[in-house]
Amino acid sequence: MVDAQLAATSDTLFNVAFLAYIVAMVAYFFRLAFTKVSVAGVPVSTAAGQRVGLVATIVASAGAAAHLGSLVSLAMAVNRVPWANMYEYSSCLALGTVVVGLAVVQRRFGYGHLMGFVLALAVFSMASALLLYAEPGPVVPALTSYWITIHTSAAMAASSIFIVGFAASALYLVKDTAERRLAAASGASFSGSTVGAAYAGGTDTDARPEGHLEVDDDEPVVGAIAQRDTLSPIAFPVIPFIVVATFVFTVWRAPLATLLAGSVAALLGIATWYAVPYLPPAAKLDSLAYRIIAFAFPIWTFAVLAGAIWAQEAWGRYWGWDPKETGSFFTWVLYAGYLHARSTKGWRGRGAGWLAVVAFVALMVTYYAVNLFVVGLHSYAGV
Amino acid sequence: MTDTTTSPPPAPAGDPGPSQRALPPIPGPLDTAKRAWRILRRMSTALWLLLALAIATIIATFIPQEPVIPSTVAEWRAGVTGPGEGVAAAFDALSLFDVFGAPWFMGLTALLLISLTGCLVPRIRGFWRLTRRAPAGGRNLDRLQHTVEVRTDLPPDEALATARRLLRRRRFRVRDLARPDSPTGNAQLAAEKGHWREGGSILFHLSFYVLLLGAVIGHSFGFVGQVNVVEGAAFADTRLSYLGAAQPGRWFPDDGHRGFTVALDDFTVDYFPDPEAEAIAEAEGRPTGLTPRDFVSTVTIREDGEPVATEQIRVNHPIEHDGMKLYQIRFGFAPRIEVANASGAVLYTDAVQLIEEGPFVWTGVAKVAAFDVENQIALELVLLPDAGFGADGMPMSRTPEARNPRLAAVLWYGELGLDRNIPPREFDRESGRRLAQPLILEPGETGEFDDIGLTVSFPELPFWSGFQVSHEPGRELLLAGSALMLAGLLPSLYAYRRRVWVDARADGDGTTLTLAGVALQRKQTFGEAFDSLADDLRSEVGDTAAPPRQEP
Repeated sequence: MVDAQLAATSDTLFNVAFLAYIVAMVAYFFRLAFTKVSVAGVPVSTAAGQRVGLVATIVASAGAAAHLGSLVSLAMAVNRVPWANMYEYSSCLALGTVVVGLAVVQRRFGYGHLMGFVLALAVFSMASALLLYAEPGPVVPALTSYWITIHTSAAMAASSIFIVGFAASALYLVKDTAERRLAAASGASFSGSTVGAAYAGGTDTDARPEGHLEVDDDEPVVGAIAQRDTLSPIAFPVIPFIVVATFVFTVWRAPLATLLAGSVAALLGIATWYAVPYLPPAAKLDSLAYRIIAFAFPIWTFAVLAGAIWAQEAWGRYWGWDPKETGSFFTWVLYAGYLHARSTKGWRGRGAGWLAVVAFVALMVTYYAVNLFVVGLHSYAGV
Repeated sequence: MTDTTTSPPPAPAGDPGPSQRALPPIPGPLDTAKRAWRILRRMSTALWLLLALAIATIIATFIPQEPVIPSTVAEWRAGVTGPGEGVAAAFDALSLFDVFGAPWFMGLTALLLISLTGCLVPRIRGFWRLTRRAPAGGRNLDRLQHTVEVRTDLPPDEALATARRLLRRRRFRVRDLARPDSPTGNAQLAAEKGHWREGGSILFHLSFYVLLLGAVIGHSFGFVGQVNVVEGAAFADTRLSYLGAAQPGRWFPDDGHRGFTVALDDFTVDYFPDPEAEAIAEAEGRPTGLTPRDFVSTVTIREDGEPVATEQIRVNHPIEHDGMKLYQIRFGFAPRIEVANASGAVLYTDAVQLIEEGPFVWTGVAKVAAFDVENQIALELVLLPDAGFGADGMPMSRTPEARNPRLAAVLWYGELGLDRNIPPREFDRESGRRLAQPLILEPGETGEFDDIGLTVSFPELPFWSGFQVSHEPGRELLLAGSALMLAGLLPSLYAYRRRVWVDARADGDGTTLTLAGVALQRKQTFGEAFDSLADDLRSEVGDTAAPPRQEP
């Protein structure tokens, strides 16, 4: 039935991965601090920054490998797919986030210095997995279908990619604000480098930043540093603290977890504030977010459609406005809205960016809040 | 609208009254309609409508919906749970308990459809023209971002033939422009690709009409009914079998049922063993939840009394017979009981379908006899499938499995309202009276209420199994619509429009080819593709102008 030895191995490897992600996150943030991004968007690292970055990549990859081992041994222990409850699903989400971050953000696009933020989101997923921990066990007949492989894995893949997309959208909004304020402060006419630049093809948005040069660590990047001064150092830690703490408290009612998660979010906020000058230009972040979300959207569409087909097989109706179905639908509508907004006058740029953030919140609500609070047919998937 | 009879008399001079102020002309209904149409066609309007749709669905996620969980809605209305009666009344006024059946939701959907149609009609027209129009010739090719000159000894027409082959291989649509038609005065090839971007997007949006049509057909011509049947019994596919649990489509006729009968030969449920959890629960004196492995109903289908098929219906494995689909949806215990009076005359014999109330506690009512209004008998039944005692000393069921079943029967008598039209599981507890001492029976046992001489037998404990029976037209359309949606979505996001020209200028006894290209999306990847195209062109026509490749 449940192989206790393998289940224990899985738990151990999970903890190893968790630790590795935290270490990698810190290392990536160090790398960010040692990296300057020139006006053209090319990241330039010091030698120390490069070394730290290499360590971060190795640790994150090793963590992902251990995590994969954890999931494989779990699957072998229970003899089914390792994503049948919220602990397992959150764990898979974290792995997906790290893998997408490493493969797409770091390798494909070359934005390795953004990985700290991606890892932070993965760490949040891991922490939520621990809070939702469930003993490995068998599943109810409704879940014993090959559709659990198809529907759930598609939903998971899309969600992981959306998580990475959220990091890009949020950073875009921050960077864009800083760029605008700096331009306004310096009296320069700001033409809106961000306004749908990627879509309209005004700039070379696909340029792969390359060439890590040796630079003098003490030489300030003039102008860019001033971006930081346009943003409030108080709002940046406080707002994430309030948002995350409220969310964690309403979901789990655990004061310690609330405080911890809130503090991590506050740290992340202040790190973002500090990192603003070193982030790629807003137009590039906007393009990155679009490319990532446009990649996930068809997968999410497929997940919803496959879910409808499975619902027909298992429950005798393809769509019953069950809370989970409704949730996945509004998430889909909001992301569809984002894709449309990027090519709509008056919405391009910041409007679309905010829509992406709202859509991500909808995704989180669909996953956590609907599973934990609302009684529906997907309720067995809770905890 | 400028009729004089409605306008006020002219104001006295020196007092510029309201009639003298320049009022904007009031638009006629046609103008208003045109304007509304123009607004609806805007992409930003569509976005607002999408947002409204998202908000409506968010509301429907967090406010219980009557068609999904009517019991919770009833509790909210009564103020037992939820935000209170006043708020619930407000929700009701806005039909927030049934968002997806609300008139305003219908209106929103209709507006979205109109907006979609308004967007699509001009796009389809434009796309039709675009795909039928041959690629246009190019002038000033050397000013484009991607441009390359290739010098070859081939005559112009041969060089162009080579270039044409190259472009076709890369799936470009190629048009030959002979010298008089060409904007440069030279023979030219104009090529383009990537129309699937717009075409895919149109397909994606058209798929909504297919999905809607499929859903409407399913709702109008389909049927959904639910029926519970006890092991050994049968039901027929007629409207009467699904009384109270039938949702026929508007145009599903009452005699649209097939009339075959389904006999439940056997029902089994088995659970994953979990001795560890059971031991812990046993020590703590509480019930153990077990995860079911499978529910299986074995049924025999008969047409005109002749058995035609024996099949197993399981969760995730529905069966289909004669256009009706049968799904396994629920199950329960149905103890068979027999009630006889003191003289041995059988008053009642039936398998009573029990419903689970609380962990593994199954309850039900056997309406034994109604001799007259004041003289009636009913049995209130409680079944514990795996009877034992909890930590508090109260009886409980240790597990959901029927390992040690005990049936408790409480006798009610007097004016129970059995002659009235009341739901199967209810009777009048106010005016009825009950015997204090219940009978506790195990399967095969017979007990007697001593005072009255009434005997109750509990010969066996069969299951009942609940099926959904549905007729589902339009499913193929829904599947086709889903496939169309994905098939359109992928190219609409990942196909990119590119235009390329090859211009052949006669140059001595050879030709100078100008290769130029423009990308409408994803310019960087086009740079790489363009370079590779240029390399291929050079090597195929034998570039004589390019510097010789360096050999090691």
